[in-house]
Amino acid sequence: MKNLRIAFLMMIVLLVTVQPAFMQDVIVATPGQEVNMLLLPKALGNAVFDQAHEGAQEAHAELENPGELIFNAPTEASAPGQIEIIEAAITQGVDGIMISANDYEQLLPSTQRALEAGSTVVTWDSPVDPSGEQVFIAQVDFSETGTVMADMALRILGEDGGQFAILSATPDASNQNAWIAAMQEVLESDPQYANLELVAIVYGNDDPDDSYNEALGLIDSYPDLGLIMAPTTVGIAAAAKAMQDEGLCGTVAVSGLGLPLEMQEFVENGCAQEFALWSFKDLGYLTYYVTYLLETGAMEAEAGVTFEAGRMGTYTIEEDPTREGALRVLMGPFSVYNADNFEEWAVDLEATPEAGS
Amino acid sequence: MNLLTRFSWLRRWETLLFVILCVVIVINTQLSEHFFNVDNISNIFRLSIEKAMVVLLMTFVIINGEIDLSIASVMGLAASVLAFTYEAGWSLPVGFVVAMAVGALCGVINGFFITYLNMPSIVVTLAGLIAYRGVARILLEDRSVGGYPEWFTGLAQNGMIGSFPFTVILFAVMFVACFIILGRTAFGRYVYVIGNNRAGAEYAGINVRRIKMTIFVATGLMAAFAGLWYAARLGNIRANAAEGFELDIITMVLLGGVSIFGGKGTMLGVGLSLLVVLNMRNGMSLANVSGNVQTSIVGALLILSVLIPNWAQSLQNTKWWRSFVERDKPSLTKGETAKGEAG
Repeated sequence: MKNLRIAFLMMIVLLVTVQPAFMQDVIVATPGQEVNMLLLPKALGNAVFDQAHEGAQEAHAELENPGELIFNAPTEASAPGQIEIIEAAITQGVDGIMISANDYEQLLPSTQRALEAGSTVVTWDSPVDPSGEQVFIAQVDFSETGTVMADMALRILGEDGGQFAILSATPDASNQNAWIAAMQEVLESDPQYANLELVAIVYGNDDPDDSYNEALGLIDSYPDLGLIMAPTTVGIAAAAKAMQDEGLCGTVAVSGLGLPLEMQEFVENGCAQEFALWSFKDLGYLTYYVTYLLETGAMEAEAGVTFEAGRMGTYTIEEDPTREGALRVLMGPFSVYNADNFEEWAVDLEATPEAGS
Repeated sequence: MNLLTRFSWLRRWETLLFVILCVVIVINTQLSEHFFNVDNISNIFRLSIEKAMVVLLMTFVIINGEIDLSIASVMGLAASVLAFTYEAGWSLPVGFVVAMAVGALCGVINGFFITYLNMPSIVVTLAGLIAYRGVARILLEDRSVGGYPEWFTGLAQNGMIGSFPFTVILFAVMFVACFIILGRTAFGRYVYVIGNNRAGAEYAGINVRRIKMTIFVATGLMAAFAGLWYAARLGNIRANAAEGFELDIITMVLLGGVSIFGGKGTMLGVGLSLLVVLNMRNGMSLANVSGNVQTSIVGALLILSVLIPNWAQSLQNTKWWRSFVERDKPSLTKGETAKGEAG
């Protein structure tokens, strides 16, 4: 049943991305052009952003770009820290800026200045308002994230349902907020989730300690809690660790978006049941390709434009259905990891220590 | 004699900062050809102006022998009050006045507990740090409030007076005002005297409470103003605005040669320390030095700023140094030195 659904989703994604390719020319990048790039994630020291960096480096080498690929971020996830880095990039005349934004609006004056100065601004992972970006590289469809999380909650809590809580990143993270909103919408609109009761949303600020304490706070405040759903890789690992330390594995389940590398032990010992993710390495790779194509003038940021992103195949720029006036490239799809397919992904990990691919 | 050595030490500390500043600027010009770019120079100030404003007042607080940990929370609270009133449909100038009043009130609360109930400022303002932030969170919860008029956000983002950024002019005016108040007025003198010896100041008839109260209220007002400026620069406001700024602010004051025990330091030193830190961070950003390394370097500089004066002090106490000094100034006999130290 689950495999069928995943197969179906993949079919749709394939259809959406491949179909326009038949109708239009596919734009291919010309390697060797000099473009200075900045990859600006939300913060330093987060494994998924390092993976995105790896992906960007791969594309950088593949496209034989003689320019620089800079990887920099604030030490803590903050919009003002990102503003400083963007302003420095404008001064340096960086050509392509790739941002995972800490705030939907606060970066706007700076990214708009970058656009005026002639730089290409592409967001990935977490977008800004369309007035300050050209294209957003969406890892997965934001509304699909809601369905995936609701399905995982339903599988874990069962038909009879029960209480669950969400442990998110920072209160101002636009991606997490969109996913939570999407999940709430799915829960309300579909009667099959009627017995799932969302009792609280707490924020661990993508900090392991804060997230750990928030998870402990949840089990104290809600004795009947059956599940902690963390749509952030830091949060899910911290919550699983907290349940392990409290001896609550099996009583309070942990699920959400996690890195296979970090979650392996918790799935093995039963502290986390199931989680989902996409490949951040692919996300960095795809983002780099889009930025390179835009900055070298090979491609315009317009809906309907189809291009080839190296090893990942063809993609099409489309209107973002979740944000009015915005353009996006949808990467997708989700991979779901649990004990059933543990052997597959655990073996994969030893060969290539990366998520999701 | 005692006074003389103290002043020569100060002079040397500021000279050292000035030398560091020159070195930083030279390195920056080597690292990036964009450093002397007009946009970049204005960026140096524009991106950290809120901290710089509060640093000026924090200098008074620390020289006076106190500390204020609540400033960043006051900044966040003032910004949140403005957002809250704006959301409720009040006009921006009215919200501005209310937010400033709230800032002053925070200063009054801090000052009251510290001066009238004689509680340690580190405890009172730590409570303030938590409580004022809490109020901000109650007001805005997890919402982000934006959509302010262009004149408000434009002023902080790219306002110009002639060919100078408004931000730079404003800060220069504030700096000169604080420089004069601390260094050239009776009020400034009292600030030092109280920081050096509170009991002595009281016996000398100085109204210690009023001066401390004035400083805390002024700090609250300045923090509120800085918070509003921060709100204008970012264009939207959340309850966590300016979180964690207090440590950066205190760092810059201490690096300026202000003693954490009070009574020592000058506005000039703090101004130089501001320039050193801002230029250094800007240069490192232009050289793509990662944030982690930047933080460590500023930390190392702070430790040095405490160590160097101590080393200098112990060096002065060594026999070798004394004989060296005495050889240099043959007119100074041992008896006179002893008398000078005793007096």
